[in-house]
Amino acid sequence: MTVAITETTQERTRPRTGLRDFVRRNSYIVALLLAVILLVANLVVQPDFGWVQQFATFAPLAIAAMASTPAILSGRGGFDLSISPLMTLCSCVFIVFLIPNGLGDPLAAIPIVLLLGAAVGTINGVLIVFLRVPAMVVTLAMYFVLIGVNLKLIPTPQSVTGTWVSYLAGTVGPVPGGLVTIGIVVAIWVALGFIPYRRLLYAVGSDDAAAFSSGVNVSAIRIVAYALGGLFAAIGSFALVGLVSSADASQSSAYTLIAVAAVALGGTSLVGGRGGVIGSLIGAAVIYLLQSLLSGMQVSPTWLQFIYGVMLVLSVVIGALLTMKKKESA
Amino acid sequence: MTMTAVDRDVLIRTTSLRKAFGQTKALRDCSFDLRAGEVHAIAGENGSGKSTLVKILSGVHQPDSGEIETGGELIAGLANPRQAQQHGIVTVFQEILVAPARSVLDNIWLGAERPLRADISAKEKKTIAAAWTERLLGAPLDLSMPAEDLSLSDRQACCIARALIRQPRVLILDEATSALDVGTRDRLFEVIQEMRDNGAGVALITHRMDEIEAIGDRITVMRSGQTIETLERGAWRPRQIVALMSGTEETDKPRREDREAAPSGPVVLRAENLRLHRDGAAFDVDIHAGELVGLAGLEGHGQQEFLEALRGAGAAEGTIVRVTDAGEVPIRSIAVGARNQIAYVPRERGRESMFGWMSIRENFGMPTLRTDAKGGWLRPSSTRRRLMEYVQRLGIVMGGPEDRITTLSGGNAQKVVIARWLAAHPMILLLNDPTRGIDINAKRDLYALLRQLTDEGMAVVMLSSEVDEHIDLMDRVLVFREGELYREMPAGELTRTSLVSAFFGDPEEMRDQETAS
Repeated sequence: MTVAITETTQERTRPRTGLRDFVRRNSYIVALLLAVILLVANLVVQPDFGWVQQFATFAPLAIAAMASTPAILSGRGGFDLSISPLMTLCSCVFIVFLIPNGLGDPLAAIPIVLLLGAAVGTINGVLIVFLRVPAMVVTLAMYFVLIGVNLKLIPTPQSVTGTWVSYLAGTVGPVPGGLVTIGIVVAIWVALGFIPYRRLLYAVGSDDAAAFSSGVNVSAIRIVAYALGGLFAAIGSFALVGLVSSADASQSSAYTLIAVAAVALGGTSLVGGRGGVIGSLIGAAVIYLLQSLLSGMQVSPTWLQFIYGVMLVLSVVIGALLTMKKKESA
Repeated sequence: MTMTAVDRDVLIRTTSLRKAFGQTKALRDCSFDLRAGEVHAIAGENGSGKSTLVKILSGVHQPDSGEIETGGELIAGLANPRQAQQHGIVTVFQEILVAPARSVLDNIWLGAERPLRADISAKEKKTIAAAWTERLLGAPLDLSMPAEDLSLSDRQACCIARALIRQPRVLILDEATSALDVGTRDRLFEVIQEMRDNGAGVALITHRMDEIEAIGDRITVMRSGQTIETLERGAWRPRQIVALMSGTEETDKPRREDREAAPSGPVVLRAENLRLHRDGAAFDVDIHAGELVGLAGLEGHGQQEFLEALRGAGAAEGTIVRVTDAGEVPIRSIAVGARNQIAYVPRERGRESMFGWMSIRENFGMPTLRTDAKGGWLRPSSTRRRLMEYVQRLGIVMGGPEDRITTLSGGNAQKVVIARWLAAHPMILLLNDPTRGIDINAKRDLYALLRQLTDEGMAVVMLSSEVDEHIDLMDRVLVFREGELYREMPAGELTRTSLVSAFFGDPEEMRDQETAS
């Protein structure tokens, strides 16, 4: 039996413009809708919303979520569990070392703290990339190490008052302080869009074999992603100190899991390569607004965690349903 | 090495390259050169070392020994694809390497820029990318579309455009045309000819002899990790190439063992209207009791999908029917297949079929534990007893049944895996390249076992990447090509030449057809 060689039929790409594709390309859309609804509900329940205070409370959570994002985007199981204790470490160092040694001045403190954050992130990245230890293990180890260091540095909470940081919980000029710290992180992320790095991060997370064979330095891109997370965490530490006017080692893990929930809600794929820092910001807003709404409605905080869980699963499922591909014939 | 006039035209040259992966010697002695202004085809059957050579030239692998000379200087090796690209060597691989979530534009410029500075303006990038995609596809393409939304052919075109924007001195196309539709391929060939005229060198690896005929200036034939011969255009004939690829001295080597008559047992398994991929032609195949059917072809041409389909897995369209005296059962899933006496031995022993930290006994008994559980309690002694039967029958050499399976040699481990499935008393045994990486004696034992099993009435379907195995062993060979069943060859028609020739679409025959028409 001989079959004549058939030429492959011309197979043309068709542009796709359905709702499905819109949701797929803008994965934060479900979270954004939820956030808007929750915001309106909040404003109805509490007409005097108090924007400045709300932004100050929101900022550490939002930044923790945004800081967790680059590692996840970098793919191959990328993850950073050490963001929350790193934020606490940065605030400890600021209060215990920098202020007493006359380095509390913004021009001195900001670079030192940012450098510290980025350095810890770099250590994570190097261990993950060069020793090929799973990110979950490396950053979990870093999580415990940092909590230990924090407890050593400040066995009891230490408060600080009357520094420039307190503006970050109030207003900087006409702008709410919380918005400033969030804005800086967003600005850095947006700025990265103007150099090739951010595109390369997405490409590495999307398919590292394609990136490697195209000549991308995959290792460097991944390490920088962790460093970036550390840098964002350091920015978050100022928002945290501003909010609570103290450093408290026992709160080291306060944002660990809730930040991951915010990232997932915000439509970032935990497999990497899809989503982004802005999505995580929106995801964090959903969690924050929900919490605020429930306490405004006098719902017992016992329910809070339960409702987070349900909402996280629901929104992820809705997102998946909206983007589910129609079964294509083989 | 002295520099002659010809040498100045050599863009890249390799001398006596060697590369081994564990026990497997992928390259034994590879000497190849690519001149400026030529399209140099590299041909060879599975495992001849083409891919390893390409991966060394593009910086994915580093050679164990041997020399690479490029741009007049000797280099030890290329540490990574980035370094290869700095030498002007750019490769398009067979695997379609795109970042699925990213836009066409990002995919085309992927890796062409340093991370920190955009050297080229966004507008210029768009213009260049648009020009190349339009040139290749014959129509403009929306550059903002994510690569995952593109058709297979357009995705591959994206990878090719990524190579072309770098204006390489050396362009390597490793089976890069196999996913392209005909129009795009023809347009690519125009581009290649233009590049050649402008002094670039193109290395073309393809399974299509007609493509080599169309644009090849020279051809290098590889076999068993060695470069066998390099021929100038006009000095080769397709039949000669096929002979070189399959090994001249033994081209018409007769079958080692001959069975008196082709077995004619009843049909036990039937593929009806099977289509391995969307554009492929549908076909029917009957598998008879007592016959040994070989699945052959160049790697990735559909034989794998066919075997998967037979066990009830995979995405092929059509029906697989298990025929018994009791009636016909459509096999719609792996579970249904297993219930209907279809056993499957996967390709990757390590990953797909062995539990490395478990004992030989546990590895053997896994799917048939039910028979060892009297009243719900497992009795290892019962598994051991069953295992010992097969140890004797298959000649498994081992310490004791409680030793870890990883203490066995590859061949013995494979026998344990096969014993595992024989213990389920299958009627149809599907094997996916079972002799890969096992020594020659273990292979012989396995061949004898398969003969014995078919004599007892079992139907055996075996995918093999070794040409000799098909010739020596099979009652019938199905050759797959480009996702379709290309030819069915009875034992009497099997020679190395006829089989390898079929892998490549019978170039001689095709040419005869052309001259006739």
